[in-house]
Amino acid sequence: MTASVAAPLILSFVVNYEPRTVALRSADRTLLSVLRDDLGLTGTKEGCGIGVCGACTVIVDGEMVSSCIQLAALVDGSHVRTIEGLGSPDGLDPVQRAFVEHGGLQCGVCTPGQVMAARALLDACPRPTIEQVREWMTGNLCRCTGYYKIVESVLAAAARDGASG
Amino acid sequence: MTLASNRVTRETERSVIGKRIPRPDAPAKTRGTAQYVADIQRTGLLHASVLRSPYPHARIRSLDITAALALQGVKAVVTADDTPGRSWGAFRKDQPVLASDKVRYVGEEVAAVAAVDVETAREAVLLIEVDWEELSAVLSIDEALADGAALVHDDAPGNITYHFGLERGDVDAGFARSDVVVEGTWESARQFHAAIETIGSVAEWDLNDRLTIWTNTQTPFLSRGRYAWALGVAERDVRIIQTEVGGGFGGKSGDDNNPVVCALLARKAGRAVQLINTREEEFLAGSRPRMPMRYWVRLGVDRDGHVQAKDIKVLADNGAYTGKSIAVMGAASVRPDTLYRYPAVRADSTLVYTNLVPTGAFRGFGSPSADWAVEQAWDMAADELGMDVVELLRMNAVESGDVSLHNHRITSCELKQCIDKAAELIGWHHKRAQRTPNRGLGIACSVHVSGRRSFGDYDGSSAMLRLNEDGRATIISGEGEIGQGAGTVLRQIAAEELGIPFEDVDVTPSDTQLATHALGALASRVTYVAGNAVLRAARAARQQLLEAAAVQLETAVSDLEVRDGRVMVRGAPGAFGGGVLVGEVARKRLYQRGGGPILGVGEWDNPSDFPDESRYGNESGAYNFMAEAVEVEVDPETGNVQVLELAAAVDCGTVLNPTLAEGQVEGAVAQGLGLAQSETFAWSDGRPQNPNFGDYKLPTVGDMPIIHLAFAESYEPSGPFGAKGVGEIAVDGVPAAIANAVHDAVGVRITELPITAEKVYRAMREREAQR
Repeated sequence: MTASVAAPLILSFVVNYEPRTVALRSADRTLLSVLRDDLGLTGTKEGCGIGVCGACTVIVDGEMVSSCIQLAALVDGSHVRTIEGLGSPDGLDPVQRAFVEHGGLQCGVCTPGQVMAARALLDACPRPTIEQVREWMTGNLCRCTGYYKIVESVLAAAARDGASG
Repeated sequence: MTLASNRVTRETERSVIGKRIPRPDAPAKTRGTAQYVADIQRTGLLHASVLRSPYPHARIRSLDITAALALQGVKAVVTADDTPGRSWGAFRKDQPVLASDKVRYVGEEVAAVAAVDVETAREAVLLIEVDWEELSAVLSIDEALADGAALVHDDAPGNITYHFGLERGDVDAGFARSDVVVEGTWESARQFHAAIETIGSVAEWDLNDRLTIWTNTQTPFLSRGRYAWALGVAERDVRIIQTEVGGGFGGKSGDDNNPVVCALLARKAGRAVQLINTREEEFLAGSRPRMPMRYWVRLGVDRDGHVQAKDIKVLADNGAYTGKSIAVMGAASVRPDTLYRYPAVRADSTLVYTNLVPTGAFRGFGSPSADWAVEQAWDMAADELGMDVVELLRMNAVESGDVSLHNHRITSCELKQCIDKAAELIGWHHKRAQRTPNRGLGIACSVHVSGRRSFGDYDGSSAMLRLNEDGRATIISGEGEIGQGAGTVLRQIAAEELGIPFEDVDVTPSDTQLATHALGALASRVTYVAGNAVLRAARAARQQLLEAAAVQLETAVSDLEVRDGRVMVRGAPGAFGGGVLVGEVARKRLYQRGGGPILGVGEWDNPSDFPDESRYGNESGAYNFMAEAVEVEVDPETGNVQVLELAAAVDCGTVLNPTLAEGQVEGAVAQGLGLAQSETFAWSDGRPQNPNFGDYKLPTVGDMPIIHLAFAESYEPSGPFGAKGVGEIAVDGVPAAIANAVHDAVGVRITELPITAEKVYRAMREREAQR
């Protein structure tokens, strides 16, 4: 049985507080592909394509989601936050600032996902313990840093302003 | 238990050097605005996909692209007929761009499609019809070397790619003098770089048939030469622009076909084409993984512990194509000899073709495979002698002023300090005195180069430094940034030498059309080699600045200095209203009859020698050293090994930026832990079984032990502000240190990577059975 789409699916959702409408070419489009290819939001990265590395992490209705395995059609009506929605034109989010100041990144490809995961953590738990940070961030792979400075960055962001964002 | 990294890193008294300066590229990376190759948009950009071999060894009887070409949205299909038909490679030209007559490993490129979107390109790839004739394949070193084995390449009899041997000193006499002789054979693993960003390219030809490739290469200039050759075009008609590089580790150093195939498609389609490896493709045929070696060692020491001789035999798995494998095996065969005072060494090393993914350069460049064996042999020798291994290594460690048997001249070495610090940080002496059941300690050391003379008799770098009329300085360098922070360190060196604030210095991305020739980010060379070039460029620019200021202020050059972005009178900081802004001096020098800009040029060549065929020669101007000690706990029921703590002590000369240097060591340690404990490629009939991040197990944050980190007090006379390389070395010792600790804990020696619970469990049961 194959699903054929007679008319294009229209996806209506909110991205970083802006309503967006996208005509999906097919029903199997991922949220990652829509964000990057249709909306030009290339800050969200693809690392593995199977939802295990966390590079494509976005926040959908307050929950962390791997956008590379999220069917775009299923976020209709949702509010999606991407890395482009963090901070303001003249200032970084406290999480972003902490990653900059504490060396929580090197090549930067996993960084948007790390930052979004950390943001989701601090939104849910403004003062996490180091064990909570380690557990929460386990789904975000990094091949450059060895993670130590990422954990330090998240803890520093929490100490500075765990509730903002 | 905490994760916190306990670091003992000293900051220096200089204004910019030695400071924890945040990387200027970090804000864009945290915002997601940094431009990687997958983020590039061009007018009319097409997207591509590659047809790859499903067989480890097969003949292509015929290839039909008719149906693929007919698919709506397809703009170009290329096959071997679109190539000049020549093979290419860094050290041996054996790799085709697209296979014509036969394929030699699963994943090899056969044809490629460019289409309006990547889904269409992938669909078209499925429509290409190939009539395959599967051939018998050699899927291991043993199969490749067996009598009558199928040949991977017809011009490599016996599947031997390369062989070399050497003997320095009298090895047999050394063993005759030895009171203790240990030996063993160790197998290392095919570890993947697994950078979170895969290899990718955007290629575009202009109307004059000149090609531009935007790609995430570590080595734009070296890659340009190879790609031009593979495409059959002149090097001068190819321009490589380095994008942000999302992790390299050696895997993006220009041995793969991605940019070449992309360029073929772009030429045929007459439009820009983007080709980004999928994660599976990256495993199958993207980055060239670490070369597995079977490494036999015999080591002899006298009863006091002084080393007398070492003998090694190495069999290395090249995979189907060579790339830089000859150099990797060479490094693994001689580099460990620059660690201890060996009076005699012998090596016999053979590189073997197999029908498996080609191997190549990966952080450590052979040393992790060599150290896995040799550092365990030293541990065995200590056991036989009844001597503490820390004492044994210390006794034999090289020192500043030593010259190794391969004529490696050691100008700065704090290996003993590293051993002492690693032992101290892990609590070696008190933990060995008060033992806890099933816990053990292990240590391993390593040495690495700071640049290596590999690609002809030149391992230099050059840079231009513009001191602009707006007061900012721009470093023009072709070396590039691959995420390690090279751009930050080069800015620091320039700012320190110029006397202007760090924030006022920029560095260009690498572009073969704009910068002078640069070998790029490999061999831990950029800080040391490019740093020296930038230092000299800055010095030249400062001299021009001071000469201009002397004229403008009607004083002598020798009376002037530059501090905090101002030209001041030495010893009289209040003169001329507190000095003149650098930008003002530059503007006045420009805006006058016959004026001109300030442009300093700096060049520097590594004070090293091009090694001969037997690899005799001082391959680098400076060597960096390290010691790593670990404490493990082994579960006696399951064999599971938990690394409780790890201490790394590194001699990289002056630490130019503590945050970045720590990041290099911590990241390398994590890769070492992966190599030691979880990372390996699984095969079935030559077909990879785990080419994805679900089944290929990278370390996560939850796997990281407590780490203690220290940098030795060290100064390299030839380095910029005393610095040496630091990028690779800390990956090297982790596997051997863990194996030595497992032996210390439960008395079994693991000789094959990775060190899994199953192997430890089986070894413990065998040991019980023998009792």
